[in-house]
Amino acid sequence: MDLPSTAVLVVVLVTLPLAAATLLFASGRQPRTLTLAAALLLTVAALALGWNVHIEGVSVHRIGGWAAPLGIHWQVTPSGTVMLLATALVGLAGAVYGAGYFLHRAGPEGRMARVFMPLWLFAWGGLNALFVAADLFNLYVALEVMTLASVALVALSARRMALQAAMRYLLAGLFGSVIYLLGVALLYGQYGVLDFDALATMLDPDDPGSRAGAVALTVGLLAKAAIFPLHFWLPGAHGRAEPPVSALLSGLVVAAAFYLMLRLWFGPLAGMLNFGAGTLLGVLGAGALLWGGVLALLQRRLKMLVAYSTVSQFGFAMLVFPLAVSGNRAPVLAGGTLLLANHALAKAALFLAAGTLVRASGSERIGQLVGFSGRARWAWLAVILASAALIGLPPTLGFSAKWLLLQAAVTEGAWWWLAVMLGGTLLTFAYLGRLLELALLDAAPGPSPPPVLTPALLAPALLLALLACVTGLWAFDFELDGKALARLEPGS
Amino acid sequence: MHPVEVTFDALLLFSMVVLAWQGVHARNMFRAVVSFMMFGLLTAVAWVRLEAPDIALAEASLGAGLTGALLLATLGRLGPERRGPRRRRAMKLSMLPWLALGLVGTTVLLAVTLSLPAPGLGEAVLAAMPAAGVDSPVTAVLLNFRAWDTLLEIGVMLLAVIALWSLGQDVLASTSRLPAPALPALVRVLFPLFVLSTFYLLWRGGHGPGGAFPAGALLAAGLVLALLAGARVPERMRGAPLRWAVGGGLFAFLIVAVGGMWAAGAFFAYPPQHASILIAIVEIAAGLSIGVMLTALFLGGEPTEVRRGRT
Repeated sequence: MDLPSTAVLVVVLVTLPLAAATLLFASGRQPRTLTLAAALLLTVAALALGWNVHIEGVSVHRIGGWAAPLGIHWQVTPSGTVMLLATALVGLAGAVYGAGYFLHRAGPEGRMARVFMPLWLFAWGGLNALFVAADLFNLYVALEVMTLASVALVALSARRMALQAAMRYLLAGLFGSVIYLLGVALLYGQYGVLDFDALATMLDPDDPGSRAGAVALTVGLLAKAAIFPLHFWLPGAHGRAEPPVSALLSGLVVAAAFYLMLRLWFGPLAGMLNFGAGTLLGVLGAGALLWGGVLALLQRRLKMLVAYSTVSQFGFAMLVFPLAVSGNRAPVLAGGTLLLANHALAKAALFLAAGTLVRASGSERIGQLVGFSGRARWAWLAVILASAALIGLPPTLGFSAKWLLLQAAVTEGAWWWLAVMLGGTLLTFAYLGRLLELALLDAAPGPSPPPVLTPALLAPALLLALLACVTGLWAFDFELDGKALARLEPGS
Repeated sequence: MHPVEVTFDALLLFSMVVLAWQGVHARNMFRAVVSFMMFGLLTAVAWVRLEAPDIALAEASLGAGLTGALLLATLGRLGPERRGPRRRRAMKLSMLPWLALGLVGTTVLLAVTLSLPAPGLGEAVLAAMPAAGVDSPVTAVLLNFRAWDTLLEIGVMLLAVIALWSLGQDVLASTSRLPAPALPALVRVLFPLFVLSTFYLLWRGGHGPGGAFPAGALLAAGLVLALLAGARVPERMRGAPLRWAVGGGLFAFLIVAVGGMWAAGAFFAYPPQHASILIAIVEIAAGLSIGVMLTALFLGGEPTEVRRGRT
């Protein structure tokens, strides 16, 4: 079968969300069919792109036909494609869930339904633009689209706490943007190029100006990725937002900022990733792992627990940096990317299921959730599967990702980082286990009559969680194939 | 450099520092806002001194004009207790490490910045100008070489409007007008000039300083002045027409970008013989849309739609 060329698919992936969002906003109606058709088309395009990349490997596209450094390039990489696929799956699931979740909101809350879809599509477009970008400034603009859409989505829930969280998120996001932009300016002032490949060939790892630039880029992204100790805005924003919004934010938006750090430190800045830099980033990660994990253990509200779990999981992801200092970087990058994809699917599933459980129970408190009964059992099943993926039980995607990282740690004899990884996994097991134990053994009857749980509120979470569990089999196969790994990134 | 220029620059810098200080520390909010607007104007002058007229135009209209108007409108909505003299915050001991950090950071940054060779892409831009379809290098970068960035930036602006409008209804209706009796008459005279200058800047963007962003900002300044003078969004413009004016720029930009895919074989590629006209279309659509979007931000919410017949 002939698929459309990669260039066409990329154009569809970045322009369709923006065009559909503008159309939805301008028409002012809520044609659910149009939104869902766009979401479906985007998912199909992402799958087709995945197939193309599997066959062709890395490809570069000149926007407007202009060559770098004058013009902007898109770079379709396997790691970016994995993220595009995760975005498509979470995007589609969230659009279906959102259509069901905001269905019966009338009156003053009707605006939620009207604004949700355009903002959702804008965020989707920003994410897609980010995952194909290979230009420091273009990435800045894509980050802005993504961040602003996310802030507006948090503010959708008009409750006072959510608005405060949105404001704090906006300020943290702007802080991150400004610092990132400072880094772009420093590197541009040094080398006069913005393109990743051009920068990679020119960068002098020992130049103090370039080091300052790299530090600024990283600090800006650390703030956007909510890495400890810059995580302060995340629990409020993710915990107070409406459930589909939390799913998008925790699953993808934070991951996009982190993915950008991977792209930078395994790409143009690779020469600077020495023992000191790697260890510092790893220590921040260990701090996040511990802090987020312990606070997740202490939470009483379901969505806050899931939000703190995000802080902890991104601490785990930070451990790729110390592991990549010496030795073969390709498997570490593969592990990091799969970890992000696993977290995207599992965390989105967890938040969507949490939203359904909260609606079914009429309370957010973990002790007052309905039990494994009625239709809520499907939501609980999604929680269990997503938990397995987050913990990294075989054969989930999380297991494949962690296995790659553990292997790297063993080969390099990085026993300290190995201990941190095992400790983090135990902590994840502890807080998710506590949730399941409290909720399932101590189940509350829930309100009567029980709220109606439509398939739109149950199926998306379950499917995402299933995908996180099943794709591990395929990913594991893929990773063991040395050729696939060697192809994973240009120059690695 | 001529001594007069040196003196001028020194005075400019000194005034900017003083105004910045006043903006942060002024005893009452109104004075702080006015200091901020003055600071914006002087920043524009600084850009002129740095021979960047495009940035100066944008800074004057956005930094001083529109942001100032937004701040004044915000001030109008705050209660009198928030508007009046501010309580002086005592300098806390815990601020010291941050202050030290800021000082060290600024020094390092200054040292690094001064050591930068700053090569830039100026040469590459000039070399590509014959194929750009316009004569102004700035417009060529914004709407041709790096048009994808510009498109996303217009997306950011549209997002800002959607985000703000999602928070509630038009707040202008409940805001008192500026107490300036001569303003309506003045605006009636000035408004056509604003529109004329907007189109002048749009037309000029092809070969000199100007283009979509300054033109849009100027249009917005005119519209905001009209709103301050008591004008309201006409009822037949409310709803879909206004929303299309807000989103139209991005939509037109997207159509031209995707059109390049089949007309010239690459996303955002302009066929050489039509490059000028396509860029002009994008420029006008974006400029007008930017003007409406900035005004929409000033409105603070979507104007209430008058529903006729059906509900």
